[in-house]
Amino acid sequence: MLNVALPKGRLGDKVYNLFKQIGYDCRAMEDGDRKLVLRDPDGEVSYLLVKPSDVAIYVEHGAADIGVVGKDVLLEGGNDVYELLDLGFGKCRMAEAAPVDFKENKQRPLRVATKYPRIAKKYYASICREIEVIKLNGSIELAPILGLSDVIVDIVETGTTLKQNGLDVRREILPISARFIANKASMKFKEAQIRDIQQKLAAAIMEKAGEKK
Amino acid sequence: MSTMSFLSGQERLVLELRELYQGHGCMRFPMRRFEEYALYLENKSFLTSEQVLSFTDGNGKLMALKPDVTLSIVKHARRGREGVEKLYYIESVYRASPTDHEFKEIEQIGVEYLGNVDRYATSEVVWLALESLRCCHREYVLDISHMGLTAGLMNECALDDETRRAAFGLISQKNVHELRTLLAQKGVSQEMTERFAGLITLTGTVEEMLAKAAELAAGEEALRAVAELKQLYSDLKALDMSNRIRLDFSIDSDLDYYNGIVFRGYLEGAPRAVLSGGRYDHLMTKMGKDADGFGFALYLDELNSLFMLPRREEIDILACYSPEDDAAKVLAAVKSLRDCGLRVLATSGEAPDLFAYRHYRFNGERFVEVE
Repeated sequence: MLNVALPKGRLGDKVYNLFKQIGYDCRAMEDGDRKLVLRDPDGEVSYLLVKPSDVAIYVEHGAADIGVVGKDVLLEGGNDVYELLDLGFGKCRMAEAAPVDFKENKQRPLRVATKYPRIAKKYYASICREIEVIKLNGSIELAPILGLSDVIVDIVETGTTLKQNGLDVRREILPISARFIANKASMKFKEAQIRDIQQKLAAAIMEKAGEKK
Repeated sequence: MSTMSFLSGQERLVLELRELYQGHGCMRFPMRRFEEYALYLENKSFLTSEQVLSFTDGNGKLMALKPDVTLSIVKHARRGREGVEKLYYIESVYRASPTDHEFKEIEQIGVEYLGNVDRYATSEVVWLALESLRCCHREYVLDISHMGLTAGLMNECALDDETRRAAFGLISQKNVHELRTLLAQKGVSQEMTERFAGLITLTGTVEEMLAKAAELAAGEEALRAVAELKQLYSDLKALDMSNRIRLDFSIDSDLDYYNGIVFRGYLEGAPRAVLSGGRYDHLMTKMGKDADGFGFALYLDELNSLFMLPRREEIDILACYSPEDDAAKVLAAVKSLRDCGLRVLATSGEAPDLFAYRHYRFNGERFVEVE
């Protein structure tokens, strides 16, 4: 039996559909149950629905053998897990954004509001820019408007929210998408099953990519 | 009641491991809990965390509570390659947790071979690692790799230090998709990239993997690494434990310190590697020792999840007295019970939460059994 951690919400639904497509369906998932652990009596996998930012933690600590998580969460958590596959969906970018008329004062540290302090610190260190991180948990766009920060570092999907708040992408930091991850010890004891899922997922994604073309 | 029944699972394990190591002629390495801070400052990247608990001694010298044992053993090792010094240790190390940054005392037990670590000695260390895992749990696996394999390929591609570090990070995550992108950015040929990808994703029996690894290896260093792995595996086959051995070329260890064979041990039910080891000739050279170094450590804290079932705390006699009783008389009465070899908990208050085979009460002169 494999435990699969899925992020609750839209991404989780998409991932479940993909798992269903490769033969790992679970009736309990489709019954619209509000349970957090879903398994069929005769199924090969059981699904755990957890907060997106916790998926990697469940996998790292072995509560789940495998999981699907956004690259943003993975980088921010720095979790010690295997990252076996880029699923190619849930695509967006990690970017630095600032008010449209923002002029940077290079004489002082840049004040950066973000949900991702680790990613931000690493990025600005790589371009040798001193920063002051302001960690927020939501509505990041508000920070530069109120003068709490100079810029923000956040994930940008379409850019609509930024535009509505008078912000603009200044620099792209890195591309983000959903990743298939596995616990390191599970990989030793359940390798055949995990590899099987990995290969089937890879094939399903290739097929989808082919259809799009 | 057997003499060992009061030991916890972990205490029993430690005794078993000591017997194992001493049975192979390893001597226990005696150690203080602290070292000069400078030792860790000079070898910062050898440590898993840069945070070290430091304090100043009476002479103003900066000292540190040991975050690592291997460095101390190497520092105190005798010089030279005449023969091999076989050592083991059971020590506490003090490390900051990567999640909450608070210091934790972690018990570590390990083996280090220093000196002339020849082919036999190498196999013996890996054998001890396998036996140590077996003492811990029925289901265990030892992953083995060789630093020369991926490092050799990187030398062939002439990668710079920063790219190497990034590449090793991705290899340790078996992250082939990003490794491909990184190597492409650095102008590495498609052919070489596929060799890396092939190595990380290799599966199969050890023999099959060794054969495939020999095809994927490029350059003298990588080929030598495969030959060494083949040699080790053929030696270990004599032990009848070879079904516990796997190859995994994604094992990451710091190239500044490690060279040659590296390995990690896993137990079913423990979420991370519980044992880690390898050959660290580079560390020996760095610390001015003209000798080989090879060893491993078992992280006892990682075994906690295996010892989670609560043991019943028990005692033979719960002996109750009242605060007004004559303490000297109670003492004498407890002593006479202890002299019979019984485990006695004497208390005047509430009985604690444990199982007692018999309940006694003090009657002013001696303890009598109550129903």
